[in-house]
Amino acid sequence: MSRLGRAAVSASGLAGMLALWETVSDTGLANAALLPPPSTTLRAAWAIIASGQVLAPLGQSLSLLAAGYALASVLGIGLGLAMGCSRSIYGLFEPLVELLRPIPKAALVPPLFLFLGIGTTTMVTIITIGCFFPVLINTVQGVHGVDPVLLDTARTFRRSRGLTILEVILPAGLPMILTGMRVSLALGLILVVLAEMLAGSGGIGFLILDMQRSFDIVAMFAWLLIMALLGLILSLAFDILETRAVPWRAH
Amino acid sequence: MVALDDVSLDVRPGEFVAILGPSGCGKSTLLQIMAGLMPASAGEVKLDGHAVFGPPPKLIYLFQQYAKSLFPWRSVVRNVEFALQSRGVQRAARRGQALEYLKVVGLDGFADRYPWQLSGGMQQRVAIARALAAEPEVLLLDEPFSAVDALTRLELQALVLDLWSRRKLTVVLVTHDVDEAVFMADRIVMLSGRPAKVTKMREVAITRPRDPITTREDPDFLALRHDLMAELLARPGVNEGGPL
Repeated sequence: MSRLGRAAVSASGLAGMLALWETVSDTGLANAALLPPPSTTLRAAWAIIASGQVLAPLGQSLSLLAAGYALASVLGIGLGLAMGCSRSIYGLFEPLVELLRPIPKAALVPPLFLFLGIGTTTMVTIITIGCFFPVLINTVQGVHGVDPVLLDTARTFRRSRGLTILEVILPAGLPMILTGMRVSLALGLILVVLAEMLAGSGGIGFLILDMQRSFDIVAMFAWLLIMALLGLILSLAFDILETRAVPWRAH
Repeated sequence: MVALDDVSLDVRPGEFVAILGPSGCGKSTLLQIMAGLMPASAGEVKLDGHAVFGPPPKLIYLFQQYAKSLFPWRSVVRNVEFALQSRGVQRAARRGQALEYLKVVGLDGFADRYPWQLSGGMQQRVAIARALAAEPEVLLLDEPFSAVDALTRLELQALVLDLWSRRKLTVVLVTHDVDEAVFMADRIVMLSGRPAKVTKMREVAITRPRDPITTREDPDFLALRHDLMAELLARPGVNEGGPL
């Protein structure tokens, strides 16, 4: 099928879903008070965006994500390189990682409240922990997967171990590292919403729950839509960044 | 597994030696041991009288899988700069010098391309330029032309011969191509199949400079090529698995 054809099919799927939602709400099949039609929801979302009302909550959610994600990436890549390059460091941390990795990170929120209180510290911590493991695991795999020819090339040109890690292993492992960071980004967004619902005071996740509690259903759906849009934009931005960072991956 | 057995070889400074043998006979292993990339289980490698324990300076190993040995995240010129950096060339001077080495291999117009944007033959030229940039005295070539098309192979052979004579390099070339060995080398060392042993040493008395066309019509060339070919084909193991 042509690209245009495929795009048309995808668009019609989306349009069909919206039409169904609109019909269900308009005809009273579903309670319009609980499920406002998409036209109303879209208008409300647009009003929030156009008025600039979106900025403060968006800023809060994004900075939360950025803090946790950045911290997790730095720690994950750092430890991942160390574990990937050194057998003994790998031996030291591997059992620990395997033990902690399967814990659903959301379950750690209650104990974190005990130690860190209900606030920003806990929120950043839970996002960091959640984002950390995919980056770590993929970095280790990326390092282990570096072509031995590249390493021998560094050796024949007499590069020191440290420079080889920096100039050869890190860039050669970058495609895998980015794969981990992509998983983490999606996970991070989930944890931002969760953290804000449990401990937040103004981010988008907080507002979705807050609007539901104050029974402003249209606003709840509007913020939900904005959250979805944010996820989509972040994912697309990551795609673009990734293609630029590792253009050789496609070859 | 024993790849090599009692292989002894002395290479004189400035000499072009070809190590010839069937595929999988341990030629590459021998070359990697000579390069200090792989420890030998027994025996020793000496360069200028000093034992080799790791990759020595003044010696560069050129990989068979040249495409894999180039850094895809570095442009062509930055790949060459990698070698200059090892030599301690100042950052500001690197690009200019790297461009000179690219000019030597005929790639000056491709400095800012990336390796994966080039053909196989051009990638091998980048690898050669990078090797030259390390200003080695010894170049170890592991079947460097086996993955390029026939015409490109002839061009690259001529290029390497030219560089060898102009830069007074010592070259050890590993190949399974009799024609290539006779065309390029001063001396040919023949290895048998696994575990490899030296079965023959032949001086190549063909005049230099050698020409891709006329040298191959030289009676000396043809006679030596005939001898070596006969030797290779008669050896058991070469045609293992099927009648000739």
